[in-house]
Amino acid sequence: MNRVMESSRWVAGMALVLAALAAQGQAPMSDSPGRSIAKGAAVVYQYPEQVTVPAGKPSPVALHFRIGDGLHINSHTPKQEEFIPTTFSIPEGSGVRLVKVDYPTGNDFTLPLDPHTKLSVYTGEFTILTRIVAEPGNHLVEAKLHYQACDRNACMPPKTITVPIDVIGK
Amino acid sequence: MKRNTLVLGVVLLILATFAWAGWANWEYRKQAAEKLLASAAKGELVSASAGDVPQYVSPLKGKPAPNFALEDLSGHKVSLSSYKGKAVLINFWATWCAPCKIETPWLVELRNQYAGQGFEILGISTEGDDLAKDDKAGREKQKADVAKFVQQEHMPYPVLIDGDSISQTYGGLDAMPTSFFVDRNGTVIAAQMGISSKDDIEANIRKALGAGK
Repeated sequence: MNRVMESSRWVAGMALVLAALAAQGQAPMSDSPGRSIAKGAAVVYQYPEQVTVPAGKPSPVALHFRIGDGLHINSHTPKQEEFIPTTFSIPEGSGVRLVKVDYPTGNDFTLPLDPHTKLSVYTGEFTILTRIVAEPGNHLVEAKLHYQACDRNACMPPKTITVPIDVIGK
Repeated sequence: MKRNTLVLGVVLLILATFAWAGWANWEYRKQAAEKLLASAAKGELVSASAGDVPQYVSPLKGKPAPNFALEDLSGHKVSLSSYKGKAVLINFWATWCAPCKIETPWLVELRNQYAGQGFEILGISTEGDDLAKDDKAGREKQKADVAKFVQQEHMPYPVLIDGDSISQTYGGLDAMPTSFFVDRNGTVIAAQMGISSKDDIEANIRKALGAGK
């Protein structure tokens, strides 16, 4: 009797160990040694998610963005005409009109393989200052940020991301 | 005794269920990891953990380079297959790409240096701006921008446009420049995403020519 009880306990113990192993499988599998990590989106919109502004009046709204580590994007005024500037826009018919955009000044940046050519870029966090006019009511605006990102060795194709802002015109 | 047997049976069933769940989960995670690895090989911009040199493992390495026929700036179709017997560097680039501007003079020099040995470069403009097929004005502007770049850089080799149309067959080109080194038999012997050095490019050209390192 005792032997049966003991073996039952042993089996139950093993079951717990296996359960723990199975649960461990739920944790993210680490990359194989030496493998690099794929970069995610180059630019992420941070905040604000919601703004309340007086309806019909131009109102300032500061929009905050973050650029992925090791990446840069062209400023709004790149030094060479073939480079794609960062631009912000609000689609027509969204109940909110963009009347002014102030882009931050770009930082000088040089690629290691061409230290004589200066680029005008944004890195890290940057803020775009806008003035908007909202119609009365709630507007879920899908604004757009168009940019082109690079790291020191390669460039990604130009991209447009949606900047979702809940604008309440009161 | 009967009760204990029943308990033992239930415990064994639970044990089997956990074992199966563990195995199924391991399989799932393995497949997810393989997918992640495949996406990196497709050409995503990646960085090493310590440095910034992109690592790129092309799924095309060791395989025949996919054939293509694209228009050059004069509107003539140029196909890869017409370069059979030559070592070819297929260089995907874009006018908005600063590293491409650094790399191009090296390519021009190397092309002139090795052309006599049966080497050619096919520069393929890959602007990645998703122009609609009927956007004639957009395409004309793009073509003009490419022509201007070609003229500025004195590129002596064929420059083809609309590389976006073949990007998927080349593993998805998520960053520029991306180069494929094709040997005289049409096999991709090396691929490189991002800029490294003129010496690296030259070593791969020599390999493609069958001249070793």
